[in-house]
This record gives sequence, C-alpha cells and structure tokens, in this order.
Amino acid sequence: MNNYELTLILNPDLSSKFDDFQSKFDKILSDIGFGVKRLENIGRRQLAYSILNHNKGHYAIYQLEGPAEGALELETKLKYDTSVIRHLLLKVDTLSLEDSLLMIESQEAKKAPAEEIKVTPPKAKVVVTPKSDETSAEEPKITESE
Amino acid sequence: MLEDAKKNFHYKNIDLLKRYITETGKIIPARVSNVTASEQRKLTKAVKIARFLALLPYTDSHR
Repeated sequence: MNNYELTLILNPDLSSKFDDFQSKFDKILSDIGFGVKRLENIGRRQLAYSILNHNKGHYAIYQLEGPAEGALELETKLKYDTSVIRHLLLKVDTLSLEDSLLMIESQEAKKAPAEEIKVTPPKAKVVVTPKSDETSAEEPKITESE
Repeated sequence: MLEDAKKNFHYKNIDLLKRYITETGKIIPARVSNVTASEQRKLTKAVKIARFLALLPYTDSHR
C-alpha cells in the first residue's frame, strides 16, 4: 500500500455537478482498491493559463491510499475522463490530513472581499495651510502656487 | 533575500513560491535569492508542479 495525493482540475462548467462526479469517482476508486483518506473540494479558481480554452478550473485534492497497480489504472481512467481537464497523481510519504494552503486561501477569498475594503484607511491627510478651505486634501499645493 | 525561519516550499504554498519567481515567471537563481542548495531543489520542484497545475504561470505571455 502506498500513499498518494491526487489533484484534479475539473471542467468548471460541471462545477455544480461535483457531487455526481464525486460519487462516480468514489466508485472507480473503490473498484481499484483505493481508499479516500481525505477530500478537499477547493472549488473554482482562476487558472494561471488557459487549459483547453478554460480560464477557470474546479480544483479538488484527494488524499488516497492504495496499491501501486491501481495507480496505473487510475491514471488511464483519468486520461480518458473528459470532465477532468488536468490531473496529477503524486506518491507521497505521508498524507496531509490538515487543510491545505489552497483550501485556506479559497475559504479566505470567500470572506475577504468585505474585510479588505474596511482595512484601507483614508491616508490623504495633508494639512498645509489653514487658509485653503474649499480645496480637498490633495489640492493645497496647487492653490499655493497660484 | 527573505529570512523565513522555515521555508515550506510546497506546490500548494503559492504565495511563498510567487516571491521566488520573476515577473516573467522564471525561477530566481539561488545566487540571487540566497536560498540554500537543498531549499532551491525543493523550490524548483514545487514551482514546476505548481505550473503544471496552472497555479503559477510558465511565462507572462500565455495566450
């Protein structure tokens, strides 16, 4: 038995049907004697470059345990699965059973947009002369030169 | 260049890897970034995996 880490990039159009894919894929895995130790459904993500004309991909990371012969079979199965636009099966020493950084990032991205706006404080506080009343903070220099 | 106590060069750690590639997507040489030889080997492996998984670009001129 070996430990494997399988990263899948799925067709983003099938993102909503991930549960269907998962149940189908779980069956394939159990057929070849693979056990799923952990599944991280990261979700849709911007790709750094387009793959098969897709600009986004649905990422999922599986932590698997299974026999080496099954790994070859899994590779061929994934190769001919049209819903998987890219896959990477890595043999690892130890499975990582904690949230991966990608997972944390995607979770933060869901929360972040509202928070990030709050963080940026109005930095433009340039008080030069008390005389320039009607001008905003950035303009005083112009009024002085006039 | 950077003094992280522990450099966790892993393909999922994109934010860290991004600091060790140029704007054009090249891996910065160890002689520039002062990364140790063993760390640089881990870094290159991680970057290349991340590129394959479209987490990092190969170049800045992807079509």
